[in-house]
This record gives sequence, structure tokens and C-alpha cells, in this order.
Amino acid sequence: MRSANDKLGWSKIDWKTILVFVVLMLLGWMNIYAASSGEGESFTLSSRYGMQMIWMGISMVVAGVILLVDDIYYHQFAYPFYLLMLLVLVATLFIGKEVNGAKSWLALGPVAIQPAEFMKLATALALARFMSEYHFSLGRPKDIVGVGALLLIPIGVILAQNDMGSALVYCSFLIVLYREGLNSWIYYAIFLVVGLFVGSFILSDVALLIALLVVFVVVQMVGNRNPKESAIYTAGVGALSLAIYGGGLLAGWALTYYTALLIASAVMLLVALAYAYRNKLANIYLFAAMFVGSLLFIGAIDYVFNDVLQLHQQKRILDLFGLESDLKGWGYNVNQSKIAIGSGGFFGKGFLQGTQTQYDFIPEQSTDFIFCTVGEEWGFVGSLVVLILFATLIIRLMKMGERQNEPFRRVYCYGVAGIFLFHVFINIGMTIGLMPVIGIPLPMFSYGGSSLLAFTVLFFIAVRLDSQNSTIGTTYKPY
Amino acid sequence: MSGASRYRTLGWFVIGLFVVLCLRLFHIQIIDHTYRDAAENNVLRYEVQHPPRGEIYDRNGEFLAQSVPSYDLMVVPKNLPREGFDTVALARIAGISTEALAKSITAAKSYSRSRPSIVVKQMTTEAKLLFDEGNFDGFYTLFRTQRSYPRKIAGNLLGYIGQVNDNIIQKNPYYERGDYIGYSGIESAYEELLRGEKGEKVSVVDVRGVVKGPYQGGYYDKSPIAGTAITTTIDGPLQQFAEELMRGKVGSIIALEPSTGEILVMVSSPTYDPDELMGRDRGSNYVKMLNNPRQPLFNRAVMSSYPPGSTFKLVNALIGLQEGVLKPGYRYECHQGYKVGKGVKCHDHPSPLNLRQAVSNSCNGYFCYVFRNIMDNPDYGGIMNGGYDNWERYVRSFGFGGKLGSDFASERGGFVPTSDFYDKGYPRWNSLTVISMAIGQGELGCSPLQMANLAAIIANRGYYYIPHVVKHIDGRDSLDSRFYEKHYAMIDREHYEPIIDGMWGTVHREIGTAGVAYVKGLDICGKTGTAQNPHGKDHSTFLAFAPKDNPQIAISVYVENGGFGASVAAPIASLLMEQYINGEVTRPELVEYIKNMKIAYPNYEKRK
Repeated sequence: MRSANDKLGWSKIDWKTILVFVVLMLLGWMNIYAASSGEGESFTLSSRYGMQMIWMGISMVVAGVILLVDDIYYHQFAYPFYLLMLLVLVATLFIGKEVNGAKSWLALGPVAIQPAEFMKLATALALARFMSEYHFSLGRPKDIVGVGALLLIPIGVILAQNDMGSALVYCSFLIVLYREGLNSWIYYAIFLVVGLFVGSFILSDVALLIALLVVFVVVQMVGNRNPKESAIYTAGVGALSLAIYGGGLLAGWALTYYTALLIASAVMLLVALAYAYRNKLANIYLFAAMFVGSLLFIGAIDYVFNDVLQLHQQKRILDLFGLESDLKGWGYNVNQSKIAIGSGGFFGKGFLQGTQTQYDFIPEQSTDFIFCTVGEEWGFVGSLVVLILFATLIIRLMKMGERQNEPFRRVYCYGVAGIFLFHVFINIGMTIGLMPVIGIPLPMFSYGGSSLLAFTVLFFIAVRLDSQNSTIGTTYKPY
Repeated sequence: MSGASRYRTLGWFVIGLFVVLCLRLFHIQIIDHTYRDAAENNVLRYEVQHPPRGEIYDRNGEFLAQSVPSYDLMVVPKNLPREGFDTVALARIAGISTEALAKSITAAKSYSRSRPSIVVKQMTTEAKLLFDEGNFDGFYTLFRTQRSYPRKIAGNLLGYIGQVNDNIIQKNPYYERGDYIGYSGIESAYEELLRGEKGEKVSVVDVRGVVKGPYQGGYYDKSPIAGTAITTTIDGPLQQFAEELMRGKVGSIIALEPSTGEILVMVSSPTYDPDELMGRDRGSNYVKMLNNPRQPLFNRAVMSSYPPGSTFKLVNALIGLQEGVLKPGYRYECHQGYKVGKGVKCHDHPSPLNLRQAVSNSCNGYFCYVFRNIMDNPDYGGIMNGGYDNWERYVRSFGFGGKLGSDFASERGGFVPTSDFYDKGYPRWNSLTVISMAIGQGELGCSPLQMANLAAIIANRGYYYIPHVVKHIDGRDSLDSRFYEKHYAMIDREHYEPIIDGMWGTVHREIGTAGVAYVKGLDICGKTGTAQNPHGKDHSTFLAFAPKDNPQIAISVYVENGGFGASVAAPIASLLMEQYINGEVTRPELVEYIKNMKIAYPNYEKRK
């Protein structure tokens, strides 16, 4: 219900969240300035920081326009916009410009834009609309297929452009799907697969097997509340494996402890299955199957890694897990980035005082590796401030989603929160060696007009939807 | 699960991810310090600043050794452009072949990718300026100085400098690979003063190795301290004249200022142009000199050990006078030699002679009598019971048989046998066994420096200052205290007069052996020596000082295989004293004669 003196519907705008956004954007600009200004140069608009300033101006104008547009249009134009952007994306495949091996740029007169940045927005809107349809349920296969299609079509086109980073961003929609009730088991499976993948590289065979045993026994124990049986099983595996290993030593077999443990757990698994059969404990079968499946998966990873992947791909993976370092190749960027951030110390070296930043030691510094400047010049304190601001922004977006009365608004807000989270975590994680090098920008920090404009639009549409949310108890139905 | 509970789960998930980022940041920014060090390695370049080596002047303030700027071309392999660079242009600027350039860059890469290596040594200033215009990434020039020797004299005296070897680096932490050190002569003796102190410049460089400015405003920089200049006691023009006179001859000249012990001239012949041991051809020249059978790198003036010959008669005469077994009026018969035992031959001369005449005439027989009287002096109970040891003590008090302690590290002390030496060689021995030492032959060995020092002792009537080559060190009031101490020979002053009169007679009386050395008004006092040489022609030697009263110069000339003392050594000494005292020589024909004199050295050539 708009009051008479609030024709624009601005009285309920979440200014605090906008403030967080603007502060982040200004901090971002300062760091672009530090990373791209040359010593003794006078201020110029043709420099990167100058261009970024122009883009900031444009973004703020666009933000103002967004706040003027009635929220009904976002709902109405969600599908047409999605289709339009998809067309542009496909067109880019043919008439686009290739940058760093990815054909993902479109030249529009003097400026080049990256359609994938706006595809995220279109997808978020389309997804919100689709998931807010009457009778929509993530329990229904038909609806799940629809959601999958909305996500996978742009992913396919973006992959065809060879832009791995932008495609991976669509993983961020897993957040909104979870919120809207996608089966938890899918997430457990994802965590298990990721965990097994990482574990198979950073843990030894024995350690990985022990870790698997512990995880499955503990999860099973919590689910079935059978600490006694679980303890017996664990002790049995331990004793049996030691007995086999010791016996092997005495008999002179070439038996590693890993083999002994594997045999012991297999034998004890049969015992457990027999026990489950007698006591009719169906879900023990499930855990046993997942355990065996995990072991097979590990074997598959080994096979794929050694026999399918090519040498440079193997190296990239090994480098990611810190098992091997190729400092001349792509590992150089991460190493220089860690050096810059690590040398910042607690308080940092001060604005424009970072030696690594000022003397160009980090490639791609004003774009993908902009966080190096934060880490080096503002230190741990500055990095913490930036992280807290981002966390605040994301949590506030989620909260914003929670207070919406309409699923469309909620799904959209969560979509935006997910996209921000993915970008921030992957980008910063990459600069400090936690995540693989995936070329995606840090929102509001990385240099680039398309990305800034896209994030601005994403964010301000959420704010606009929120400002027109009906008060609790009323049923304001604009659609 | 309800939406609200999933919201909470997601909230914790988001916070969890941010906590992971914070923990990781905490680790690399605060706990792990390796990144900080790596950042410094990235941007800091430590450059050694080489000071110019101290200049060396002669006693008149003229340069003997100068330092001129030179530049070493350095490379840091990791900063080389990936796409390569113009090797042809750089090789041309540096004055080497492209192959040599490629080779040294390969060597630099195998040494270290991030630390600088020398590519080309000692480029000229012009080459450096051309290089600066060329803008070659990864390369830079390092300022150093190079020695230059304007007069091209005194090679062995000044010594040479060269790059330090691993042995030196291990022993002395001051030196690093590529540093220079003095290896001989003054360069070595005064190395610590001449080298100065290296400085260091810490600069910040960008990723391409381009210097962006000093680190922390230059707080950690250390300026190099220039080497200390040294003024030597050498008389440059006189040294040059002496070297010219010695050209083609093997031997040595030392001239001292008796009143101070300052070395005016030190020639070791053959000598070499010190510039030959600098610069790019140093290596091949050095090998050439090492292989030269006449050994130009061997500083005969302080390192050789010659039989002193007849000049040593002066010492025996002084000991006899001091011991009272000889009086100036004693006369001894001599007809073609001393006839006791194996005998010692002598030349034709009137007989009998008194001490003054015997000195002037260099009578062998006379000094055999004197020597035996000293050795067999009954006061000591015979030669084996102390007679010899007494003589030896006297001889050593003249500075023989051991190093004088000059500022030449390579100085050697010659040889004066002890009685033990003979005890071991002979079951019984007597004064006839050692009679050849009466005339400075036999086992005796002396360096030219010791012989010149003897001349100085006699000129001073009894004492000497340790001969030294440094007159003044910049910024210091005095030299090492040992150069100011008078060292007395064990002879009373009054005993010198008859000897000096005899030496005056050598040059001025008809009976004298060195009339050729006469210069009107100089009152030269000398003693010839014709040292017997088992390997070939006799060595020609002459020991002298002038003028007789208030002597200004004492000199010893030793010319290997030169024959009689009067034939080569005496004229050379005479010319040098004349030049030094009068500032000119009046006998150009004698100069020409000496310069053109050819002496054969069959035994040196044989060694090849």
C-alpha cells in the first residue's frame, strides 16, 4: 500500500544495504586506483581507474532508473529478457571478440561488454519467475527439469564460448534451490564427491580410508543411534586389520597396511550386513552402498587422473592442492598473489605503498587479482573489513529474501545472494591459494564495466523488489 | 525442512565460508613470514658499490698508479625478455663476439636466475654510454675502477691486482666473487688501505627489473669509502732511468736514502709494463710472463739470494776492526792470491797493501788474513768454540741472514750459515774450510735489498732504518713505528772511517777498481764485486753511496753474468747517483754504452 506522499515507493528502500554496496564499490575503486595508477602520473580519465569512475557513474544512474521502474515489469519481462540475452549470448559465439582464449566479448561501438555477466541477471529473473509459478514444486520431476533447462542452456552456450569461469558461476543457483527445498541428499552427495575428490589428492590411501570409515560409522551412528554396535564394528576393523598386517609380516607376504585395512573393513562390512539382515535395519544397506560407492569413486578418480587427463591438466590439479608448483606457468600468478597478500601483514603497507602492487608483480591485478591490493596495502585488518562488508551484504540479501511475501521476490533475492557469494568466495579464495584459478571478477572491486554494471543491476533490482514488498498481512498481488 | 530452518543453515554456511577465508588470510598474512621475505626478494636489488682503489704516487707527487672508471656488464637472467633481445647489438657495444656473449649468458643462467652475474668485464665509459642508450632489459652496468699506470714502470714494485680466487673468499669474508685484490708488491702490501671499503645500494625494482628508486629513502644504503692514496718513496724519473739502464740485463737495483731508509729505486730486471696485467689481455699476458724463462714476475730485488762477492769484504773488515784483530795500518802480502790451504786467487796489484788500499783494490789475500784472524781469535777459543758464532752475530747485525722487515710481504732473508751447518757437514772444520766467505763467496746468500742496506749502514756510519717504500699514507701522520727505529750494526762509529776512505779510493785513487764511477764533485764511495758464479760468467755488482759526507743516496747494483763489478754495475750506479744528486747526467756516451750492452744468459735460455 503506497501512501500518498510516496509515489515512488522509496520509503521502504533498504538504505543500509545500499550503503554497504556503495562503500564496497568505493573501496573497490580505491584499489583499482592503487593497482593501475602510475607513479607521478596526473589524473586521467583514459586510465583504468578513470574508466572505472565513468562506469561507476553510469551504474549509479542505472541504479536510479531501476528504483523508478515498477516491480511488476521485472516479473513481466523476466522471460523475454532471458530469451533476448540468450540470443545475444549465442550471437556472441559468432560475432564476438576473443579475449584470453574465450570468445565472450561483444563490441558495442567504443565499449566492449561481456553478455555472460547480464545472462546471470536474466537467469536469476527467469528462475524467480519460473519457481514462483502457481503449484511449482521442487518435488515434481517436471518442474526440476524446467529449472535444469533454465540453468543448463546458458551454461552450455557459455561453455561453448570457452568461458569456464562464467559457466561455473551457475553453481551459485544451488543456494537458491536449497532454500526452495531441493532434496538435502543431493547436497550431501555433492559434498561427498567434492570431499572424496580433494581427499584423494591431499590424503594418503590409508588416511583416506580411515577418514571414510570414521565418517560413515559416525554418520550411521548418529542416524541409527547405535553407539555400541558402531564401536564394536570399529574395534573389529582395527583389530582384524592389525592381525592381518601382523600375520602378513610374519608370513613374509608383501602386504601393505592399506591392503590389510581394506580386507578387514570388507570382512567386517559383511558381518555388519548380516547383522542388519537379522535385525531388519534397512538403512545400513544404504550406508554400506555409499561406502563401497565411495571406494569405487576414488578408484575412478585415480584412473581418470592417471590415464585420461593430460599432463598439463594433471599439473593444474596437483598445483591446486599444493602438491606441485609450476611457478613459471599459471602457478606464477597465484604465487605472486600470495606473496603480495602475505606481505601485507597485520596493518598493511598503506595506500599506494604496496611494493608488489605498485611495481606490477601480479598479472591481472586490477581485474581478477584485485584483492591482492587490498591484502598488501590494507593488511589483515583491511581484508577483514572487506570480508565483513561482503558477508554483511550477502546475509542482508538473504534476509531480504526471507521477508518477501512473494516467492518471485524471495527466489530473486536468494539468487542474487548466491551469485555474490560464489564470486566473492571463489575470487578471494583463488588469490590466497584456497581455490583454483577461475577467472571471475570480485564484485564491485575488479576493474570492468560489464561486471560492475551487471552487479549493480542485479543488486538494485533486489532492492527495488524489496521496497515494493507488501507489508505483512496484506495480500498485495501485482501479478 | 522448513524454509526458515534452511535459511539458518544457509546463514551458517555463508559465515563458515567467510571464516575459512579469514583463517587463511590470518595464516598467510600474520603467521607465515615466508611471503614477506619473498616480497622483499621480489622488489629489492642489492648492488655492491665498488670504491675507486687508492692512487699510488711517487715521492714527487706524480702518479705511479691511477684509478680510471670502468664498467662491468651484469645480467639478471630472470629479467631477460622472454622474446629475446638484440644480441648482435649488445655484443658490438661490449666489444665481444655474439658467441662469447651467448656463452656468458648461459653460464649466468646456470649460476643463478635471480642473482646478477658478470657478462663482460671492464667496459669503457664510451661503451657504457652506448649501452645506456640501447635499453637492454635484464642487463645493467656496475661501476668499478681499473688500474692504469701512466709511467709504465715499476711492475714488480707496484705489483699487480687480480680477481680473488675461492681460497681468498673462504678465508676473508670481505671479498666476494669478482672482487679485485693486490697479489704482489705495494698493491698486496697495502691492500687493506688501497681497496677502500665497498658500499651497498638497496633499490626497489619493478617486475621487469627496472629500478624505481632507493629502498626506504636510502636508509639501508652504505656509501663506498674510496681507497686511501699512498705516496711512495720511489723517485719516478730515477726509477724509469734505472729501468732503461737495466734493459736487456738480468739483475736488480736498489737505491736508498740512507738517512731515512726510504727506497728511491727498486728495479728487478727484466721488468714488465704493469698495464699488461690489466684489462682483457691480462690472462694471456700473465701466462706469457709465467712462461718467460727470465721470470719477469719474480721480484729479484727482495726475493733473490745472490753471493755478495767482494762487497762483503767491507763487513769482514769492519768486524776485524771492532774485534781489534785488524788495524788500518796492517799490511799483508799478496802475490796472485792467498796461498794457504786450497788458496784463494787474486789479481795483479802492488803488494803489500794497507787496509784502505786493500778495500780500494779489493785484494782477496788481504781479507783472507783478516777473516782467519777473526775466526781464529784466541779470545773465543777457536772457530768451533765461538769464533764463528761471534762473526755470525756481527754479520746478522748488518741485516743479513734474515728478513729486514720491509713492507714487501714477499721479502726473503738470504742465507748466513750457522756453525751447526758446518758441524753437520764436516766432522772437523777450521777457518780454511769457510775461507771463501772472506770474499763474500761460499754459502752466503744476500738479497739486493740487504746489500743496499749495507751501503746505507756504511753511509750512516753504523746504523740503518728498515728500508721501506711508503712515504705517506693519506690521512695518517706517520708510518708503522718500525720504520722510525734506528738499527745499529755491532760496529763503533770510528771504525767506518778507514773503510769509507778505502771506498772513496775505489773510485778516486789510481789503485781503485772503479775509476769508471768517478763523477766530479760527487765524492762517490763504492765497492766493486765480481761474484763467482758456478753456472756461468761472473755476476757484476757494485755497492756505493754518495756524497762521502752527508750521503744522500746508497745504492746496490747487481747484474747477473755482467762480469767485473766495474764493467756494468759500477757505471750504472754512478749514472744513477749523478742523476739523483745533480739532476742530470754528463756522460751520454756512457749511458748509450750501457743501454746497448748485450749480455748473454745461456743458463736462462737452457731452462726452457
